[in-house]
Amino acid sequence: MNSVNMQNSSVLSRLWQYLLAFLLIAVITMIFFLARDVLDTTLIALLYLIPLGMITAFLGLGPGLTSALITFLAFNYFFIQPYYTFTVHQPADVAILMVFLIVAVVISQLVGRAQAGLVAATAREREATQLYELSTAFAGLPNDHAIVQILAKQVYAVAEGEYVELNVKGAHPFAYRLPEVEPPLRSPELIIPIEAARGVLGEIRLWRAAPVISPTEKRLFQTFTSQGALALERAWLAQAESRARVLEESDQLKSAILSSVSHELRTPLSTIKAAASSLRGKQVSWDSPARTELIAAIDDEADHLNMLVGNLLDMSRIESGALKPKREWNILPEIIGSVLARMKHLAEEHQIKVDVPESLPLLPVDYVQMEQVFTNLVSNSLKYAPANSVVCIRAQVEDESIHVQVSNQGPQVPPQDLKRIFDKFYRITAADKVTGTGLGLSICKGIIEAHGGNIWAENIPDGLAFHFRLPLTWDGAQPPQLPMDTEAE
Amino acid sequence: MSNAPHILVIDDEPQILRAIRTILTEKQFRVTTASRGEEGLALVAANEPDLVILDLGLPDMDGAEVCQRLREWTQTPIIILSVRDSERDKVAALDMGADDYLTKPFGIEELLARVRVALRHSSRMQGTQSKVVNAGTITIDLAFHNVKRGDKEVKLTGREYKLLAYLASNHGRVLTHQSILTHVWGPEDADHTEYLRVYMRQLRKKLEDDPERPQYILTEPGIGYRFIADE
Repeated sequence: MNSVNMQNSSVLSRLWQYLLAFLLIAVITMIFFLARDVLDTTLIALLYLIPLGMITAFLGLGPGLTSALITFLAFNYFFIQPYYTFTVHQPADVAILMVFLIVAVVISQLVGRAQAGLVAATAREREATQLYELSTAFAGLPNDHAIVQILAKQVYAVAEGEYVELNVKGAHPFAYRLPEVEPPLRSPELIIPIEAARGVLGEIRLWRAAPVISPTEKRLFQTFTSQGALALERAWLAQAESRARVLEESDQLKSAILSSVSHELRTPLSTIKAAASSLRGKQVSWDSPARTELIAAIDDEADHLNMLVGNLLDMSRIESGALKPKREWNILPEIIGSVLARMKHLAEEHQIKVDVPESLPLLPVDYVQMEQVFTNLVSNSLKYAPANSVVCIRAQVEDESIHVQVSNQGPQVPPQDLKRIFDKFYRITAADKVTGTGLGLSICKGIIEAHGGNIWAENIPDGLAFHFRLPLTWDGAQPPQLPMDTEAE
Repeated sequence: MSNAPHILVIDDEPQILRAIRTILTEKQFRVTTASRGEEGLALVAANEPDLVILDLGLPDMDGAEVCQRLREWTQTPIIILSVRDSERDKVAALDMGADDYLTKPFGIEELLARVRVALRHSSRMQGTQSKVVNAGTITIDLAFHNVKRGDKEVKLTGREYKLLAYLASNHGRVLTHQSILTHVWGPEDADHTEYLRVYMRQLRKKLEDDPERPQYILTEPGIGYRFIADE
């Protein structure tokens, strides 16, 4: 529809050009005719060259040649004797006709070349701009989908396409369509392969009204696709590199786990083995106090091993993103209470103070996971703080969140390490001085972050404090209202 | 010792079977073992044991399914064994009719305590139920709806009493959130664990010496609650 209109209008404008040329010659001829007695015939011939040149220059070769012919006829008819006939008597008149024609052709050639040059220069400039825009758009795009999207949009805009489909092959093939509907039923007018050094990465399928591709367009599309291919290759390389880095890191993590685990597993295992074998070998007499001691050691170290395995499982779950809190509305003092009840025998040498206001709202947390957080924070405090010191648990509501603090009177942490203590296997003390997995705090971090909160540590005047903050709402849900229960019930 | 309680242990790990058999035999129980679910079900039907100890990680059957199939025809108490982090499975098995659970690895006192509670509970089901439950200084008279701490009567709301009575009459046993909510509030409120959180806190404040470190009303993380009474 559109193109038909355009064709009509171009025919119309060409007709107009011829009409304009004819009118111009007619007007000039009329002026010359009025001054026929004053002007010399040769001068008139010369003066005719001016409109002729202008017509050729501005309206093109066709109107120019036509004008040359009309001019000659008019000149012959009105200005050469005998007047009002087309008879040519002298060879000089034929020469004038030849001059008119030659002038028209030469000028149109010159102007045509200049115009073609201008058009080419403009096209090149536009091409350069488009390429620049494309390469700027591609720069720093790490994602192949984004690259393909931009490439498709550019091709769509430049080709005045009706529909563009971009198929990408490779490890994870995908297609991008513009507009995002089913492609037209007919086969595409143009298929442009996206080629890179390593082979064909995909293809652009273009549906559009004009099936013919101009050399300029062809060159432009090729440049587009080669730019696109480069960007895709770069993105894939970057992805491969980051995958390799992740693998390397997880490899490092695994070897760190292995070295930590083998150390940590062996310590309790050696104790258990030594105690059990000495009990079995009857080196220890039945009524010796050492017997009770050895049995207690086996029991404690077995618990320690169990905790170690639990921590490793938790950590691997956090690492793999499988830690999904099972949120329910919970009461913080209950969580703290059951942790402290369970840790009673560990906390015999310390005093644990709990300062949690009664008015605290219900919290949307996973009970078991939050127990784990408190267990790890308290046991960390008990492990490093000196005997008879105080471990303090406080909580208060601040804005839309709850702020919990577990502080101890243990050694401070160098400021540059305050963040790193939440890293896996990070210890300030040498591993053989304090037992543990080096995982407790990073598990806390994983759990708190899975709950949408944050955790940090801070040196306080007489020790170290762990803080964490959790949102009071859960997906916008407010704590539930409880049904009233009266004494009269 | 033909009167000794007969315990069937279903677990696919030979070391666990060996350890439990040794310990329970030492404690004068009669012990039978099975390493598969189908075998266990057949042995329950053939021997009618007094108690079943069932591992949830059997190779041939889901633990909850074993519970369900047993509960179709017998009320023999079931204690389930499972590893940490499988709260969902434990709750499923408990709601399917299991009586209690133990998390591996477990101490032997814990195992024996669970066995004692389960056996006592099943004998109570057949015989008369004790009307007074004592826990430390707390006395709960289930017949007269009367709760005392020392000599002083504890004032409880109707709901609080109903909750405490349910816990106390099942003392020693784990009760899942769902079973408490269904029993005390009704089936339509079975998902409202926040009711439990709030009411347990109130009960603890009225009954426990130190509500921050409860001794009698214990939370079983992710599972439910357990009331500890004097033996």
